Amino acid sequence: MNQITDLILRPYNLTDQKIEKALSIACSNKIDFADIYFEYTKTESWMLEDGIIKSGNSSIDSGFGIRSVSGDKSGFAYSSQYDLKDLTKAAEMSRSIINHGQEKSVKLGESKKFKKLYDSASPLDSVNDNEKVDFLKSIDAYIKQKDSKIDQVILNLSGVHESILVMNSDGIKAIDERPLVRFSVAVILKDKERREQGFSGGGGRYMYDEIFKNKTGYKFADEALRQANINLNAIDCKAGTATVVLGPGWPGVLLHEAIGHGLEGDFNRKKTSAYTGLLGKKVASSECTVIDDGTIAKRRGSLSIDDEGCETQRTVLIENGILKGYMQDKLNSRLMKTSSTGNGRRESYGCLPMPRMTNTFMLPGKHNPNEIIESVKKGIYAANFSGGQVDITNGQFVFTASEAYNIRDGKIVDPVKDMTLIGNGPEILKKVSMVGNDLKLDEGVGTCGKDGQTVPVGVGQPTLKIDEITVGGTQL
Amino acid sequence: MFPLELNKIKENLLNLSKKIHKKYSYQFSIRLTEGVTVTSRCGSIESIEHHQDNTLGVQILCENRQGFAGTNNLSNESIDKTIEKAKNIATNTQPDICNGLPDSNFVTSDNMPQLDIHHPSNLDIKEIIDMTHACEKNAFDYDKRINNSEGSSFSYANNNSLILNSKGAHGMKQTTNFTLSCIVVAEDGKSKERDYEYSTTRDFKKLESPKKVGSQAAHKTISRLGARTIKTRVCPVLFSPEMSASIFNDFLSAIKGAAIYKRASFLLDQIDQHIFPDFINITEEPHLPDGMGSSPYDAEGVLTKNKDIVRNGKLKTYLLDTYSAKKLNSTSTSNKGLVTNIVIDTEEEKTTNIISSMPDGIYITEMMGSGVNIITGDYSRGAFGYLIKDGEIKHPVTEITVASNLKDMFKNIIGLGSDIDRRSNINIGSVLINNITIGGAS
Repeated sequence: MNQITDLILRPYNLTDQKIEKALSIACSNKIDFADIYFEYTKTESWMLEDGIIKSGNSSIDSGFGIRSVSGDKSGFAYSSQYDLKDLTKAAEMSRSIINHGQEKSVKLGESKKFKKLYDSASPLDSVNDNEKVDFLKSIDAYIKQKDSKIDQVILNLSGVHESILVMNSDGIKAIDERPLVRFSVAVILKDKERREQGFSGGGGRYMYDEIFKNKTGYKFADEALRQANINLNAIDCKAGTATVVLGPGWPGVLLHEAIGHGLEGDFNRKKTSAYTGLLGKKVASSECTVIDDGTIAKRRGSLSIDDEGCETQRTVLIENGILKGYMQDKLNSRLMKTSSTGNGRRESYGCLPMPRMTNTFMLPGKHNPNEIIESVKKGIYAANFSGGQVDITNGQFVFTASEAYNIRDGKIVDPVKDMTLIGNGPEILKKVSMVGNDLKLDEGVGTCGKDGQTVPVGVGQPTLKIDEITVGGTQL
Repeated sequence: MFPLELNKIKENLLNLSKKIHKKYSYQFSIRLTEGVTVTSRCGSIESIEHHQDNTLGVQILCENRQGFAGTNNLSNESIDKTIEKAKNIATNTQPDICNGLPDSNFVTSDNMPQLDIHHPSNLDIKEIIDMTHACEKNAFDYDKRINNSEGSSFSYANNNSLILNSKGAHGMKQTTNFTLSCIVVAEDGKSKERDYEYSTTRDFKKLESPKKVGSQAAHKTISRLGARTIKTRVCPVLFSPEMSASIFNDFLSAIKGAAIYKRASFLLDQIDQHIFPDFINITEEPHLPDGMGSSPYDAEGVLTKNKDIVRNGKLKTYLLDTYSAKKLNSTSTSNKGLVTNIVIDTEEEKTTNIISSMPDGIYITEMMGSGVNIITGDYSRGAFGYLIKDGEIKHPVTEITVASNLKDMFKNIIGLGSDIDRRSNINIGSVLINNITIGGAS
């Protein structure tokens, strides 16, 4: 079943002709292009806390957004009501950005064919509700028998089935159905007066069984418990600059913040990014090759087509240290006289699309990870992070470690408490002196926020060494 | 596009709810928002976005089990389906004796306080566009080093919400929000910086002028040019009003009922304990005219009222909803889903006097990252600010970290500034805190 056709177009009798008419109104000879985006999204979440399935939530969000683009101007209106008069009114409001010019007739073609990177089915219906509940109960029972210091276990399981249909004034018509599931475990341990948390989780664009089968859920439970135990013994961290080795996988959030955002097309078209004008220049050490790839099957950050109907692709951002390209949507690529890289994304029908990352990661280097750690006399090994943030204009970025250790004489020693690392994007990547051969992608829990819009993303990297970065500890 | 009428939806809901079997109790929450956002950049319009959002949330309870369901389609058929979905979910969750609707103090049409927070306005789109142009132009005119812009935006939202439950709660809330903001970029050949300014009010007439917002955005951006790194140190830190609000927001997160009953807070078992110095008093005042946090009732319809949160440095209450109150053997403090206006009541000092009394320190105007751990209080964030030496601001500083523990930060507050910022629900000025570790160059 197709949610858009069955639950929107047919019940409201929205034929191609009617949508062509709405697009014609939204477009004119003074307008470069117009598009209409239909969305029908079903979301559910289940939470276990204090040993019981405390609540379940299910919601449906559906609507359409019409956009008219002229040069760098966008007019936009959206609604969750589908009567023809709503469509027409939205088209008129959208077009009001340019109040002159004549209607341009639009003829829609056949549905676009593209390679599907994931199932079309709904994860919500892939198993019965009681199986979801039983899964959470079994994980809770499993984790509680593993450690007597457990004070709290919070489990979250969620599933999304998003159907989108985008049609534009070039006649493109593209439908995508996107499953997304996510499971997370938070554990609080209590040891005398001290309390610490561990967190783990994963997910992707697949059905629940990928998490239910092969003990995958148990693996996340073990990992959360391991992290909480490490944090119970963590000591205060020393402030100041240090050599930092980042572990493989999720620490790739470094790339997302230090490079990724600064290479989004909009900031570079407006020349507000710290990377503006640096195309072809050296912005990282020659060890670094960084990719944004939306085409990896079933990954959380992947999309078969983006929210403007363009196929996603593998875009080389940095190759051997040289800045090679930006991530683009339709509006910004046209203004920069290039083409979309399939990075046009929006949180929902109620938001304008903009260039966003998909899965951003660094390719593996030549070093064995142990060799990298052994090369550090005194420094920090950061194995896991909670998140990050960047100021794209001056390039200053931060990311916060949730699992880190001191390195002394080439060996990982005592765990240190959560701390923030701060650096400058274009400078810090020049200080990456060793890259490991152990590329790993994250487990699939990442969410990125920009201009108030959140979208699911992925990151990844091999083990890597930064010769010098500022560390936010409490000790002198 | 064609605004739904809240009263009509209410009638439909009341009719539909008659069909719900008596063994269920329920709560309906409806929110209808309409508005517009206009952004101009480098002298021309960049976007006009027309907003209209509708949401319905249904909570169904049956023998201490509960389910939630939501939709943005408010047709009768869709509402019916949503009620059925919430019932289904309630059958798959487990009974929890603490679940339930509020027992008392809920809003009805007779007792609802009328607050001065709704000022709908028929703004002309042309007038809005002109305002954003003027705002950005004032920023460009302020200094020739302002050479780029992320634009000036104006947004208007008219929010209408309704709450009904099977015990007879019945409340309607209307608010308006007007926001004018500006983000500009400055360059001086060596560095490139960006900063912003905004004004946000309930009443359009009280919004700051485009001139003030634009020139303040420019002033803040220019001040950042020439930032340097500094050496690692422990020193007093003066946090700007926005940064102080973020620290007090962490305090509020740590005293929320959910954090307390989950034992996920560094402030467990702290009622009547000293958390702050004696001179700090914190109250919640839900009914302030034009208050950005003002609300007559909370998200489960419990009437809000003034209360002491901290008196003479001692914690007086946690922030509870009906569920967390039952878990903690207490009563709701009307904090389901919100904390209204927070007022820090003390003898304040002029912020300029605070700076001139500092022989050495840092003034922090921006913090980044997620390095706040509410379970342990550990605090470690990236920051941007200014070096203070001999009572004067010397130069901007970049690539520094701020680290401490929130417990120590609260106890080490030594001054509160009079530059109170009323743009968020936390009304606070600059705060001076002693003994903070600033990480920088070695």
